[in-house]
Amino acid sequence: MTTVARRKTPKSGTGSAGPGAVRRPGRAEVTRSPGEPRRLGWLYVLPALLVYGGFLLWPLVRGAQFSLYDWDGLGTAEWAGLSNYTGIWTDPALRGAFGHLLILVVFYAVLPCCIAFVLVAVMSRTKIRGLVFFRTVLFLPQVVAMVAVAVAWQWVYSADGPVNTVLGWLHDLGLPDWRRGWLGDFTFALPAVGLVGTWVGIGLALVLFLAGVQKIPRELYEAARIDGAGPVREFFAVTLPGLRRELAVALTLTTIMAIRNFDLIYMATAGGPGNSTKVPAYEVYNRTFNTGEVGLGCAIGITLAVLAFAATAGIGRLVEGKGA
Amino acid sequence: MPTLMRRGAVATAVALVTALAAACAPGSSNDKPESKAPAAVSTDVAKAGNVTLTVWDQEVQGGLKEQIEKLNAQFQAKYPNVKINRVSRSFSDLQKTLRLALSGSNPPDVVEANQGYASMAQFVKAGMLLPMDSYDQVYGWKKRYPKGLLDLNSVTPDGKLIGSGNLYGVSLNGEIVGLYYNKEKLAKLGVQPPKTWAEFEQALATAKGKNEVPIAFGNLEKLPAMQLYGILQDGLTDKEAVRKLVFGSGGSWTDAPNVQAAQKLADWAKKGYFTKDSNSIKWDDTPVNFAKGQGVFMFGGTWWAPDLNDRMKEKVGFILPPAAQAGAPAATMGGESLPWSITAKSKHADVAAAYINFITSPAAMDVAVETGSLPVLAAPSKQPEAALMKEVSAAWAELSKNDGTTPYIDYTSPTFTDGFGGPLQELVAGKKSAEQVMKAAQDDYSAFQKKK
Amino acid sequence: MSTRGERLVNHAVLAVFAVIAVFPMIGIVTQALRLPGLDFSTFGTAWREGHFATYLRNSVIVTSITVVVSATLSIMAGYALGTMRFRGATAVFLLFLAGLTIPTETIVVPLYFDLRSMGLDNTYAGLILPQVAMSVAFGTFWMRAYFRSVPRSLLEAARIDGASSWTTLWRVLVPIGRPAILTMLLLTTMWTWNEFLLPLVIINSDEALRTAPLGLSFFQGSHKTDYPLLMAGALIIAAPVVIVYVFLQRQFIAGMLSGAIKE
Repeated sequence: MTTVARRKTPKSGTGSAGPGAVRRPGRAEVTRSPGEPRRLGWLYVLPALLVYGGFLLWPLVRGAQFSLYDWDGLGTAEWAGLSNYTGIWTDPALRGAFGHLLILVVFYAVLPCCIAFVLVAVMSRTKIRGLVFFRTVLFLPQVVAMVAVAVAWQWVYSADGPVNTVLGWLHDLGLPDWRRGWLGDFTFALPAVGLVGTWVGIGLALVLFLAGVQKIPRELYEAARIDGAGPVREFFAVTLPGLRRELAVALTLTTIMAIRNFDLIYMATAGGPGNSTKVPAYEVYNRTFNTGEVGLGCAIGITLAVLAFAATAGIGRLVEGKGA
Repeated sequence: MPTLMRRGAVATAVALVTALAAACAPGSSNDKPESKAPAAVSTDVAKAGNVTLTVWDQEVQGGLKEQIEKLNAQFQAKYPNVKINRVSRSFSDLQKTLRLALSGSNPPDVVEANQGYASMAQFVKAGMLLPMDSYDQVYGWKKRYPKGLLDLNSVTPDGKLIGSGNLYGVSLNGEIVGLYYNKEKLAKLGVQPPKTWAEFEQALATAKGKNEVPIAFGNLEKLPAMQLYGILQDGLTDKEAVRKLVFGSGGSWTDAPNVQAAQKLADWAKKGYFTKDSNSIKWDDTPVNFAKGQGVFMFGGTWWAPDLNDRMKEKVGFILPPAAQAGAPAATMGGESLPWSITAKSKHADVAAAYINFITSPAAMDVAVETGSLPVLAAPSKQPEAALMKEVSAAWAELSKNDGTTPYIDYTSPTFTDGFGGPLQELVAGKKSAEQVMKAAQDDYSAFQKKK
Repeated sequence: MSTRGERLVNHAVLAVFAVIAVFPMIGIVTQALRLPGLDFSTFGTAWREGHFATYLRNSVIVTSITVVVSATLSIMAGYALGTMRFRGATAVFLLFLAGLTIPTETIVVPLYFDLRSMGLDNTYAGLILPQVAMSVAFGTFWMRAYFRSVPRSLLEAARIDGASSWTTLWRVLVPIGRPAILTMLLLTTMWTWNEFLLPLVIINSDEALRTAPLGLSFFQGSHKTDYPLLMAGALIIAAPVVIVYVFLQRQFIAGMLSGAIKE
């Protein structure tokens, strides 16, 4: 099971996998030292709990509450019941935004994992020289501020940017002219944004899988070969099952990244052209602060929290099997 | 672990529901700010003590920036006890942040809040702007400005009707959206500045045939297509009808002339008259590209004139948009720049009013001319020198003479930029028909009218 | 066992993807510094016009306070939850755990309105407190795992020596827990430094308080498609984290992937 923490570059940890974790955490078997007052624990926990409660849980409560009102953020609020939530379904622009999220999950999560799998399958399990270097470089997109990433990719996709330059060369060679303003194109803006996510996610998946595949016992591969398994069967019979944990972690982290996609959209497209790159994370902001639909914005926010939670809890179960 | 997570969720949910029961409803019942009696207004800034006046404006470009800097310096020189803390950001950045800042705990004293139902009317409804009627009585702005211009900055206190109610701001510059053209290119194409649509379309076809970009157009922000649409609409409809429609007192976006205007826009896009991939080009880049020679014509506001004048000198010309038929009275969008308003929470409302009066005084109109801007009122002693600025003021004068300005389309509703501008981008990209786009506009419009 | 060919394929694949991974970053650096000529004038213009000196200072202030406060609180809470037994401990832990998945997008709107009514919008505190809250959710979870792994014998030895629980924590457990704490510090630093949505909403009028990423967004607003200038801005805000990352990449990666790497 994986737990994913705050923000778009999510952190993870499993219950068993704290730093230097030795024991699996079952029922708490921690014993109290004799003479230790029972309330002492609370004194240690209280400061963190107060800040956490006041500035994370309380806003969550308020968000849930706001989502039940019709409020423009300026005047008085009117009780709206669940109409903001039904609005998410009835407003075609918002329904579209959640549809875009689904597509982005493919680009952010599914695609990087698939590509990384293929690469890991192609690469033999020999010792890699300079692994530390490759790992550092491949992982780099994870640590660069998304705002800076957005600026860089706007350039990559710009009219005179590298993508169009290369396509221009291809055009000179006789291929059709594929150059266009990628981020302003109704058909290609969303995939263009999605590919940025693929770019961020691929290194993460690759680093994870490379580490994982080293841990699969060599005997399993040898046994598979003795059974006459080809590379494809070998992959499905040995590599894939051996990488379950890593797959679960990679999918969870990248899916959450897709859900928390505000920075890139705000900087690069602001949801445009038309509504073609609107995503829920952006709509939280847009509906609240641009069009003055605070209740609706909060309803989208709560829905996102539910989705993030479901993704975290669900993917682990799905990939690792029940009770993993 | 999933079990743990689920238990965590349950624990959170329980805490959440408990807390919900205790939380109070969002939003406060706000009292509308009252205008104080004219007699209570102090016009003596020197007696106000040391005051820091925070002013938010959107004048970040060339001449406009210079104009405000000059006026601010003059005001501070006249009243050494006042320090102006100027915060300026581009139009779109201002739109994004003003709403947040106005509702914040410590808003600026003076702001440029855009006219229309998307901005000013909402702020008025929420009681964030101070009615300026008593200042008007003291300073006599009604005598200074024609009624039409003050009406644009007037709203009923409930925010429901623009054009009546209280005055919430006065403007500094005049502005209209017109047609810029590259004189060199026109000469090379052997084309005269067009006076009618027929001539204009002829010129566009010629330009296209010679591999020029007929119209420089950048539409990333959705507003540019709305302005272009508005110009076409002004050609096909009576200006009164447009005013009624935008301000919500009659008509429908699906009326035949309104659909025709969209159709015209679609036709031009289809014929390739606009910059390629215009939906991916930023609005503020359009005049930069135009100045570089990418475009024979460009529709744009007079606010671009000082900057274009610097970049292109005598190579650029400005005319009112061609009329649909020869001899038809000129009409286009515009009126006045963003009004300067006082926030309800300002502790220095009297000083703020004196400042606004100062920057809209006749002497200030001279400063506008000096810095290459188009003053909203006739400057008493200065005449524009640059050729472009002369053309701009001539166009402005002609329009003012026959009351030819119509309101900007984005005044219509708070969501109109998305609700209409988004579909217009699809129209430009050839993804939606004129009928579909105008229906989308009407849907947004009627939803807002119902809620209002 | 591995042939030369196999090894070559491996390295070729990795090299290709390494190039893809750094390609946009190379674009940033070459354009910002006008490589290969190395001309700092664009960089200088961006630095001045973007007011990045101020924005970096703000980021340093916000990040360092957030990290120090949240680390202290997390160590204390993790210590209690990992080594002590008291009524409600499990519930508290679950509460922190649930917080790990809550996106900033969910809480930013109510946070804005409530901070505003407290007068904390456009203040450092308005930026720091919510980020401390987000960080302690992870920090507590992380530190609890570390404290649970500490051998009981160590705790008992300290007790027999007469050390109070407070002394045991700071004099014994924290010093030997440096690797775990370092990872937590690094991750919190990175997340706080890179945070964008929260400053965008909370620092909405006072330009002097903008953090570096927020500054870049407004810099983009006024420079649009002047890419060399924008790239210089991007370089300025991304460089500090990247430099730290290059030196301490092991801790970064281990922390971010800990779920899978540890068995």
